[in-house]
Amino acid sequence: MLGGMVIDGMDVAENSDEPPIDAIAGLLVRTANGSQAAFAELYDALAARVFGLIVRVLVDRAQSEEVLQEVFLEIWQSAARFAPNMGQGRSWVFTIAHRRAVDRVRASQASSTRDARAGRRDLDVPYDPVAEQVELSVAGREVVAALNALPEAQRESLTLAYFGGYTQTEIAALVGAPLGTVKTRMRDGLSRLRMELGVTS
Amino acid sequence: MSETPTRKEFDDLAAGHALGALSASDAARLAALRLAHPEWEHVVAEDVETAARIADTARPVEPPIGVRSALLSAIAESPQDPPGDEEAATHTAHARAADPPARAERSPSRRWFGLAAVIALLAVLSVAGIWGVTTLTRPASVVALEEITAAPDSAHAKVALPGGGSAEAFWSGDLGRAVLVTEELPPLGDGEVYELWYVRGDTPVSAGTFDAATGTTALTGEFSTGDVIAVTVEADGGSPTGSPTTDPLFAIETS
Repeated sequence: MLGGMVIDGMDVAENSDEPPIDAIAGLLVRTANGSQAAFAELYDALAARVFGLIVRVLVDRAQSEEVLQEVFLEIWQSAARFAPNMGQGRSWVFTIAHRRAVDRVRASQASSTRDARAGRRDLDVPYDPVAEQVELSVAGREVVAALNALPEAQRESLTLAYFGGYTQTEIAALVGAPLGTVKTRMRDGLSRLRMELGVTS
Repeated sequence: MSETPTRKEFDDLAAGHALGALSASDAARLAALRLAHPEWEHVVAEDVETAARIADTARPVEPPIGVRSALLSAIAESPQDPPGDEEAATHTAHARAADPPARAERSPSRRWFGLAAVIALLAVLSVAGIWGVTTLTRPASVVALEEITAAPDSAHAKVALPGGGSAEAFWSGDLGRAVLVTEELPPLGDGEVYELWYVRGDTPVSAGTFDAATGTTALTGEFSTGDVIAVTVEADGGSPTGSPTTDPLFAIETS
């Protein structure tokens, strides 16, 4: 029986015709009203995924720990800015985490060292070994499959931007393509990803 | 269906923004277009939602043990935005500067109009900061903002005010125009207006008046690169003397 289960932060409704309840959104609303207990639940539900995202971008564990704290502090302070009708709670949390991780990686690492980092680090999601994919959530495996459906140039532009923290100008230099081409790849890649995932906001 | 150039430009910028990959100038351009076209806001929201899914592909990593308790201690003493701020989030633009915001990090403190007053500039936010504007109070000024941000030499800088509001100026020396976007300026009393000034050297030149604490206002008259953009509170109709009669709420240097 699926009723009452929590899957990836979404409660599965007893009646399967109903849309899933956004558990994270509920915790954010309670947090906005001052509930430290709700904040603790939020941390327990998402900290490992948030930290995983930050580490993927920053690599450096010490800096990642600092950014993790900054992210959750910002969540506490600005939870009132989350509007449940504007999107999923998880998306709001990951958007904050991603922005802070990219800001930090740009502030602390010059382009040349980031290039070297990119060479060592596996930026290309679909080439993760199967063993690593087992650690991903159902949602994560779905996104990996969706990304794999993209043409390589589009996928590369998305992952260089999202996990590499590179600007469009830097990506153009990295891949040796005109800036306009990179912009088009990002636009088309993101649109295609949304289509593959069936994302609604 | 063919797209107008501006809509295509907006769509490209929205994708770059959602991925965090815009240059500072592109981020400013997107901010201006979002003000001008609230009917396209859903594109940004959908792109942000889609990009956030990419986070699901990062392997979870258990954080260090001490972080949880450190956070619970910290939040016990941390203020929160009051509930009811959701509307601000609707049009929040998380812009990011690609280059170090060297211009914005200067904190000018200089004699003002030859008076002993010190300009009340506190934190100068990064060149492309976070803002929220939910209503267009001057559509013509927003059109001007679009034109300015499309100019090759366009630039912008933002300041935070002591009371919690902010002001961001956009300018182009080539076009000779500037626009000010304000959020929650200190409220006016009866019979008062905000007055805009171009300060050249030590000479302030009036650039018009406005009365909305939150909104977008085009400065009248010609902008010259190097002008300091400032706002003071004056009597209705603007200062009768043609010069400011009060200390500025803020001042923004242009390069």
